[in-house]
Amino acid sequence: MALTAGIEALNVYGGAACLDVRELCVHRGLDMPRFDNLLMREKTVALPFEDPITFAVNAAKPLVDALSPSERARIEMVVTCTESGIDFGKSISTYVHHHLGLAGNCRLFEIKQACYSGTAGLQMAVNFILSATSPGAKALVVCTDLSRFALADAAAVQEWAYSEPSSGAGAVALLVSDTPHILRMDVGAYGNHGFEVMDTCRPGPDTEAGDADLSLLAYLDCCERCWKDYARRVEGADFNHSFSYLSFHTPFGGMVKGAHRALMRKLFKAKPDEIEADFSRRLGPSLTFGQRVGNTAGGSVFLGLAGLLETAPITEPCRIGLFSYGSGCCSEFYSGVVSPDSQRRVRAMGIGTGLDRRYRLSIDEYEKLLRGDHVIRFGQKDATVAPDTIAGAWNTVQGSGRLVLDAMVGYHRQYRFV
Amino acid sequence: MESDDILSILIGQIREVVPELVDHDIGAADSMAALGVDSVERSEVLMNTLEILGLDLPMVQLHGPRNLGELALLLKAKCGGA
Repeated sequence: MALTAGIEALNVYGGAACLDVRELCVHRGLDMPRFDNLLMREKTVALPFEDPITFAVNAAKPLVDALSPSERARIEMVVTCTESGIDFGKSISTYVHHHLGLAGNCRLFEIKQACYSGTAGLQMAVNFILSATSPGAKALVVCTDLSRFALADAAAVQEWAYSEPSSGAGAVALLVSDTPHILRMDVGAYGNHGFEVMDTCRPGPDTEAGDADLSLLAYLDCCERCWKDYARRVEGADFNHSFSYLSFHTPFGGMVKGAHRALMRKLFKAKPDEIEADFSRRLGPSLTFGQRVGNTAGGSVFLGLAGLLETAPITEPCRIGLFSYGSGCCSEFYSGVVSPDSQRRVRAMGIGTGLDRRYRLSIDEYEKLLRGDHVIRFGQKDATVAPDTIAGAWNTVQGSGRLVLDAMVGYHRQYRFV
Repeated sequence: MESDDILSILIGQIREVVPELVDHDIGAADSMAALGVDSVERSEVLMNTLEILGLDLPMVQLHGPRNLGELALLLKAKCGGA
């Protein structure tokens, strides 16, 4: 068995365009004091030339390009983690593998369990490395999700209303190996909780249904019970003292704040002011990128990890606690160790700068996109993308080297780098 | 404990979690959502009430009631109907 495994490299891709969430809430007539509780600023909006594959490739390519040919040849597993699948049979990982130019001796598959998919993919990859069945191998795990639920009809817009301000789009790529420069996993330190619940789901390709209240309650139940399972497995584990920082799956920041408060009260009967201070110190940094791209589903817990590595003061190796929740539901609390080197490497990816470069959509442009006239739909056989539906956004990607979706020919998606 | 007592606890907790509602009339027919209590605040009211009642059960079991009266009845049943 390999002694160590974890995340060697991490990158986030937050798309080509974003929307100011405050402007959206004003436009929709939502109560502004309540908006502040969301802890949201911007959200990424997928354009017609973007799909889960372009997001995934654009997140992973910088990691793969940085490898030597011999290192690249050791990527022996590509796992895509998503609830935005493009086909019932063919997985996104086959397209990702192709456009990254990876070797053929590689396992390609996709994992689905709502927003838990990313953690399921990471654990799958970590256990592949730990098994040492192929010593020195690497695995590429890519979480990629986007929401276009308003495409179906007016009723879908209504269904979607409760989560519109927080629904985002984005991808996080994780290179997993036995040289975990970003996060060294604590082997065997995890706790799970899962049970059948109909909280939120995607019953069709362009629809989302669910009950935000039930989902929040399930999230809170899972957070407590995962932690208790972790504490049962890990001798001496203490939620208050074992972790310097935390990253939770973030549908919106306010939900994470509620879960943290619930846990601190239940476990320690902590007072409101100490809970607030602890949240700001240990969870605040993890919200850095999430509040700029919105809920990225499977990738959100790693977006949190990236945010805390970007912004938290890390002067020595320290332990991070991660909580992942996916509706339906399954969840996991697990941990790993980061270092100042992890921070240096994540900062070098320029994630924040990438988000700054996104085109800022006006409300009119956003609503034009919502109508989805030029978007390739699930199951469509032939189609051509009109890339310049929002000309300003199309201009921002020219010369960037990013992958864009061109067309659908006999169900086969056609792409090119621009 | 009668459901009216549980209703009083719920109303007290709503006023504690959302201080803006301290002078607002709140009764059995009201729903927290209609009062403007957001989803995170609603979960906090439920959690605090469970703590006061000495109940330790999954929060998802409290999903479904359409107003505070129905919620109080559900909580009474969870307390064993005493």
